[in-house]
Amino acid sequence: MPKIFIDNTSYEVKAGKNVLEACLTLGFDLPYFCWHPAMGSVGACRQCAVKVYKDENDTSGKIIMSCMEGVRDGMHLSIDDKAAKAFREQVIEWLMTNHPHDCPVCDEGGSCHLQDMTVMTGHDYRRYDYKKRTYVNQYLGPFIHHEMNRCIQCYRCVRFYKDYAGGKDLNVFAAHNHVYFGREKDGTLESPFSGNLAEVCPTGVFTDKTLRQHYTRKWDLTSAPSVCQHCSVGCNTIAGERYGGLRNIVNRYNAEVNGYFLCDRGRFGYEFVNSENRITKPQVMHQAVDENALMHHLETVLTNHSLIGIGSPRASMESNFALLDLVGKENFFCGVYNEEMMLERRITDILDSGKIPVASLKQIEDADAVVILGEDIWNTAPMMALAVRQSVMKTGGREATEKTPMPEWHELAVKELQQNTKGFMVNVTVTETSLDEIASLNINAAPDDIARLGFAIANHIHPSLELKNFEEAVLAKAKTIADELLKCSNPVIITGTSCYNDPVLRAAFDIAAALKAAGKAPAIAFVVPECNSMGLAMMRGHAFDTAVRRVNREPNVTAVILEQDLYRNLPAGIVDEFLSKCRNIIVLDSLNNATTEKAHVLIPASTFAEGDGTLISYEGRAQRYYQVYVPDNKYIRESWKWLSRMKMIISGKANGHDPHHDSVISSLETALRQFAGISAAAPSSGFSIHGEQIPREPHRYSGRTAMLANRNVSEPKPVADGDSPLSFTMEGYQGTPPSSAIPFFWKPGWNSPQAVNKYQQEIGGDLIGGNPGVRLFVKSSGNMPEFFKDYPEHFRERQNKWLLLPQSHVFGSDELSVYSAGIAGRSPEPYMGLSPVDAKMLDVTEGSQVTIKSEKEEYSFPVKIVESLRNGIVLVSKGLPGTQGMSWGNWVELAK
Amino acid sequence: MGKKLLIDRVGIEGIRYFDTYRKHGGYASVEKAFKMAPADIVEEIKKSGLRGRGGAGFPTGMKWSFLAKPEGVPRYLVCNADESEPGTFKDRYLMEFIPHLLIEGLVVSSFALGSNRTFIYIRGEYAWIVDILEQAIEEARQNGFLGNNILNSGFDCEIYVQRGAGAYICGEETALLESLEGKRGNPRIKPPFPAVKGLWDSPTVVNNVETLAAVVPIINMGGDAYSQIGIGKSTGTKLISACGNINRPGVYEIDMTISVEEFVYSDEYCGGIPNGKKLKACIPGGSSVPILPANLLFKTAKGEKRMMTYESLADGGFQTGSMMGSGGFIVLDEDQCVVRHTLTLARFYRHESCGQCSPCREGTGWMEKILNNIEYGRGKMNDIDLLWDIQRRIEGNTICPLGDAAAWPVAAAIRHFRDEFEWHVLNPEESQKRNYGLANYAEPREVVAS
Repeated sequence: MPKIFIDNTSYEVKAGKNVLEACLTLGFDLPYFCWHPAMGSVGACRQCAVKVYKDENDTSGKIIMSCMEGVRDGMHLSIDDKAAKAFREQVIEWLMTNHPHDCPVCDEGGSCHLQDMTVMTGHDYRRYDYKKRTYVNQYLGPFIHHEMNRCIQCYRCVRFYKDYAGGKDLNVFAAHNHVYFGREKDGTLESPFSGNLAEVCPTGVFTDKTLRQHYTRKWDLTSAPSVCQHCSVGCNTIAGERYGGLRNIVNRYNAEVNGYFLCDRGRFGYEFVNSENRITKPQVMHQAVDENALMHHLETVLTNHSLIGIGSPRASMESNFALLDLVGKENFFCGVYNEEMMLERRITDILDSGKIPVASLKQIEDADAVVILGEDIWNTAPMMALAVRQSVMKTGGREATEKTPMPEWHELAVKELQQNTKGFMVNVTVTETSLDEIASLNINAAPDDIARLGFAIANHIHPSLELKNFEEAVLAKAKTIADELLKCSNPVIITGTSCYNDPVLRAAFDIAAALKAAGKAPAIAFVVPECNSMGLAMMRGHAFDTAVRRVNREPNVTAVILEQDLYRNLPAGIVDEFLSKCRNIIVLDSLNNATTEKAHVLIPASTFAEGDGTLISYEGRAQRYYQVYVPDNKYIRESWKWLSRMKMIISGKANGHDPHHDSVISSLETALRQFAGISAAAPSSGFSIHGEQIPREPHRYSGRTAMLANRNVSEPKPVADGDSPLSFTMEGYQGTPPSSAIPFFWKPGWNSPQAVNKYQQEIGGDLIGGNPGVRLFVKSSGNMPEFFKDYPEHFRERQNKWLLLPQSHVFGSDELSVYSAGIAGRSPEPYMGLSPVDAKMLDVTEGSQVTIKSEKEEYSFPVKIVESLRNGIVLVSKGLPGTQGMSWGNWVELAK
Repeated sequence: MGKKLLIDRVGIEGIRYFDTYRKHGGYASVEKAFKMAPADIVEEIKKSGLRGRGGAGFPTGMKWSFLAKPEGVPRYLVCNADESEPGTFKDRYLMEFIPHLLIEGLVVSSFALGSNRTFIYIRGEYAWIVDILEQAIEEARQNGFLGNNILNSGFDCEIYVQRGAGAYICGEETALLESLEGKRGNPRIKPPFPAVKGLWDSPTVVNNVETLAAVVPIINMGGDAYSQIGIGKSTGTKLISACGNINRPGVYEIDMTISVEEFVYSDEYCGGIPNGKKLKACIPGGSSVPILPANLLFKTAKGEKRMMTYESLADGGFQTGSMMGSGGFIVLDEDQCVVRHTLTLARFYRHESCGQCSPCREGTGWMEKILNNIEYGRGKMNDIDLLWDIQRRIEGNTICPLGDAAAWPVAAAIRHFRDEFEWHVLNPEESQKRNYGLANYAEPREVVAS
């Protein structure tokens, strides 16, 4: 490790880092703007200047930008040097010449990096007495508010938006001291990662427009660590509340998962919590009832009938387990058909075998090659797509800097060397995707053919089977891909359930297995549909088909349906039939939907913001989300609390106390061995530091004694939280909490999200105490995996039938987030994609209405002609209004 | 009378056209060079001691020898014709009146460097010169000096002319490359240097128009002979574009053996100051180099005669010297106001800052505002110190040299003419009506015949 001297004290630092990173890691407060730990250095802002000396005898030294200089053994630096300090102060003074100082009315105030850095440099007196330059702001869509006057031209926005995330519609315009960051003209920012601008921008140019509609300062938020609910990636978030409403979602750093960023669905999809559509009171036969009446009714319903439970892929492990515990393992079902369930079971089997490790987002970013089989991850797991982009770019950068060594953080220089050199990435999908533009090879094929290509690749890497009836072209492509993969050392194979095709999953495994056999260190990632699909699959409930048979056989069944709209995933006819056969229907959910309308007993469940729970992400990572606030509605409780109470009713202990979270999670661990270790995902409720809990409110939280004075002039006693180590107050432990229980990032002098620096072991590295979450699939010994080998037949078009496949949309395909106005506004109109040949055959043109006929249902959509689509496939927008209950992966008829 | 190597033929009628140019010895260097090995041409250039004529004065032969030559990667020569420095118009003159000299130099240089595609990046405002150059290129192609298999040597070369869009910063070589690639003209961070990764990821040499034109006489006469011209490391001839308060503004070729005084007062060159006025100050090398008061212009601080060479003009550093720069020689007579002059330059640099790094982007605008106040009688005494403070913090702390170029003129103006600034502040009304005049730092001198 190089030893450097900072103001004559020696420190050991990590080699290969720049001076700024080294100083920040050592805990020095050195101001910066344009440098970003995930985006490297460009040397634009000149804020991080320090003095460097030739040796210990040099007293004059030279001012350098610490972000542009690598650490060298024996380097002598000074942060406190007078000239360096004066220069840093001068830079702030320059930036402030045009900054409007509108902090009191600025959304960024209180979590502003510019404020922090200004105070840090000590600049306090203005020598500039001229008019400031002004700009015209732009309308940038429902998510981001634009206020260009505040801009300090650090270029982070365009560097994130264009270079890091691949966006095209944000750019820098004009020159000199009138540089403008915006779009070519007013309009919605197209990238699904635009929300990160609010955090990347060091001041208030780009701010969260949804927060603006119910604005609260950071210091006035009651916040809790949370986990995103809108796909299976499991990004870590922080959710903030005031006055009983959820106000915003910001990033919660997790080096292995989402790093510094979130996608827009995750960041702006939270408003379903505040939705008008929330279920607020228990209902019996559509009549609102109070708790006594509800309990009384439940007693009759629960004790006199046999129970079945339908678990939910978007409910927490605790709730699913409480349901299983209530109805018994053999009566626990999943809300999907057997075929779909088998896909998820295949995934959990593969991961559980431990033969191939599962790839975290960080591992995907660091992979030197990526193969995507059949999953449009841009739309189904956006943050994974962002990670793939980083892999492609970083690998290209490494390749380019092999001959001309250049440290990775030296962003512009690396880019210059790199130009168009990209890492190897193959994107094999049903139709074109947004990742195509960075892929080395794009192949569009039907699911079976995707699988066949996968098997052919595996066979080229490690011959294990005889390939019959393979076209030369496919074999040639497979060879190209296999040869490239053999040049890599840690490739990642990504696939998922979107193709509704088991061979695709097996093929992905075989590629990974072949790579392992070839001495590589592959990892695999399976994208699943919902935030807890993986957890539910691991519970191994029965398929919905069995539940239908059960109610047909047994007349007296009470169905307990947990947090899901059956009509969304299953054909309406089947669900109608199922529900009509149930004697009683108990539904627990947070929002009204088609299924809740059919409920005989409807129970308001909490959302993630009002309850505690654990979700298991695609990588089998169990992550805890904490209750953010106590809703002003005693009926809104976690489903697991309601279900546990039901269990108590059955066992005749209806008057007992509600169970605490700890006991539910430990019962889960005992009852289902596959979840052993899940309790370690976060500290238990008894956890405290020096007898203090972790406050959800910052120490500057205002209005505590007054905000409820309209009801009672006495300040109410804070609610005790028996389920977590967090308290609903501003008092408590003020130090660094355990990494999985960080309710907000704040340190003295660091009010902005960049305070995360102080929570990391090294800048851009793991959090102190390790990254949150427990991976339940543990890597097993180095046993060689068995290959599946069973490749499917060639995809064949059928006479007058089409294979129905989903087209996912970042905005719109997720059930809950569309209750947020912004997300709803970004959802496209549903359409039906057909290949040009099929469209011609059906004699339809772009926009014509075509009807899909499946067994029981008929749907009608306008046609979109998709050039890249194979003949014999029909693609329909997933999850949008009118597309519920489609039988994905089945053959359907089309009619004009 | 000094030696002329570049513009000696300018007076010949029709020299703009190939036939006349050829008749007067044009393209002889191509014929000679193509019989040499490329490495030998580079060697000749090294021997000649030719220094970059764009402003920095970096030895051209050295620059050429740095060019990386990886297998299978094209190499590019780019001619920097983005001549935008206020006061500098020598390249324009060269391209306008003897375009084939540049084309000839480009063919020889392309051959020496192995560039099959060579670009002339020309200042957007020089629109009419684009036509001249394109016609010259077409003529050269038709006569077999461009295109495939030039003079049966097996060497192919095409020259493309690309117009800039009017940004001064695009004259900085890496910003020029960005612009040429179709991107926003922000300077790149070095390393990597263009010689390793320049245009489109390939090794690239960027040279000034005059530098490339000078390749022609060097090949014709040999590097050694060329290096005999001039004094010390200032070899060969240099074009100086003289303007301001002189009797004979224009482009002059000097052989770097004459004194500054001779250059100003000799009838062969500037021809003295009009109307018998006295010389007040001079910027010897284009707007970004430090201004010198008359008493430091003709003699160095040590009392030696100041010569028109790289070394002599820089004698005394920035305290008492200046730079050869790009050869934009701007003369101010006793009626000129240094504050106003500095304001004009500050306005230029503010406008031309690319906006990438903070010191230049914010500092240049601020300096302009302060100078504006001082010039228009609204200045305060501490504004002068503030101005000094700002320029001092800009200098050396920016990504590219534009920050320095903006800081130096302000620094020099305050350093040498501080009392004029103070007079403006103390006499706001008077300063609106008349100029400060010569004051005491410019020793009036008699006209000296050369």
